[in-house]
Amino acid sequence: MRNILTKEFRLSASILAYLFILFGFMFFLPGYPILCGAFFSALGLFQSFQFAREANDTVFSALLPIAKKDVVRGRYCFVCIIEICTILVMVIPTVLRMTVWADSVVYRSNALMNANLFALGAAFVIFGLFNWIFVGGFYKTAYKLGRPFVTFIIVGFVCIGIFEALHHIPGMEWLDSFGTDNLGRQFILLLAGIAVYIVTTVLSCRKACENFEKIDL
Amino acid sequence: MNIIEVKDLVKKYPAFELKEVSFGVEEGRITGFIGRNGAGKTTTIKSMLNLIHTDGGSISFFGMPLSSNETEIKKRIGYSTGTVNWYPRKTIRDIVRVERSFYDSWDGEAYLKYMEMFGLDEDKTPLELSEGMKVKFNLLMALSHRAEVLILDEPTSGLDPFSRNELLEVFIELKKHGVAVFFSTHIISDLEKCADDIVYISKGRIVAAMPKDAFMAEHARPGETLEAAMLRMEGGEINA
Repeated sequence: MRNILTKEFRLSASILAYLFILFGFMFFLPGYPILCGAFFSALGLFQSFQFAREANDTVFSALLPIAKKDVVRGRYCFVCIIEICTILVMVIPTVLRMTVWADSVVYRSNALMNANLFALGAAFVIFGLFNWIFVGGFYKTAYKLGRPFVTFIIVGFVCIGIFEALHHIPGMEWLDSFGTDNLGRQFILLLAGIAVYIVTTVLSCRKACENFEKIDL
Repeated sequence: MNIIEVKDLVKKYPAFELKEVSFGVEEGRITGFIGRNGAGKTTTIKSMLNLIHTDGGSISFFGMPLSSNETEIKKRIGYSTGTVNWYPRKTIRDIVRVERSFYDSWDGEAYLKYMEMFGLDEDKTPLELSEGMKVKFNLLMALSHRAEVLILDEPTSGLDPFSRNELLEVFIELKKHGVAVFFSTHIISDLEKCADDIVYISKGRIVAAMPKDAFMAEHARPGETLEAAMLRMEGGEINA
């Protein structure tokens, strides 16, 4: 697995997949839908899939002395590493906004989602959807990128809209907590987001391995 | 002993079908896989590499079924195609650095030897290589991990006569070391120069799989060359 992951990083990946990790810093922005940071990181991964496809990466990988399912697992590992790096970048502004800038007027007057543990959990959900819809969808054919990505864009932005709207519903204001307010409930939502991410990614990877075995390359 | 055994291989496409393709490749022999464009050569080779899902039949290497020993088998075989462009903007050095990590049997000396023989430059990218040099690059990768079997899909296509001759000499040299070479081609003179055995496919069906001498004795008319015999057979007498 280490070898195939090395191949992903050295040969298959587009430079944009690495650069777009920095969109995690969008969690600094007040008055902006910060979950778009997760979407832009996913866009970098999409570029990487496109780059790899044009380089005949799938057939090259399938010819290597590894099981075909390891080709798929290697790609999922690469995707997860980029996503987790993006989340780690998001953690920096989140911690700053929850501590030193907890009382900042700019952030307090922000009508959109605040950067807190719930937002990080929501970012995990967006990445889980990407893995389920786009990565899993790609491995139905191992060359069609457009349809699964457009589907992800639609579902992803609907979810971003829902996450942004939730704290405006009466009784749900605590989702937009500042500082250490409602920390216990916020932490549970973060764990829930991680659970959704793990479940969608693992199930998607299993299905993609099955599909990839049946594809004619 | 057959190092590759293909038995009753079936693959169905809407407009084409491999019909119970069977043949064997012996250790230390050069087998030419011949047939016109669209006859089923590449489909057969892709099946042998598990790149496509077959509808029937079995493939084994070294006495082991491909279906349950894919990783072990792929470590012991080399594959090359003349037409595919892997990672066109990465340098040969970068591609090789990754590929070699997958093979315990990577032979650095052989790699340098063939690099020099083929006149390849590690700092070039596949995009900067001519078609012939791409073939040589693919061959370099296949030859550098001490493969016991080489499966080559039209390796001589796009090569100039000198390079083609050089390549066929490499096949003969490898054969002396016990390596089995199975290569598809539509250039019949390549077979005349170096093949021991011929597997002849037409319209998805194996017409002949036998030693070249036996093929000539059975199918060629007196004084006829292999090329003339095949052109005549392909011209309509196969099913006569």
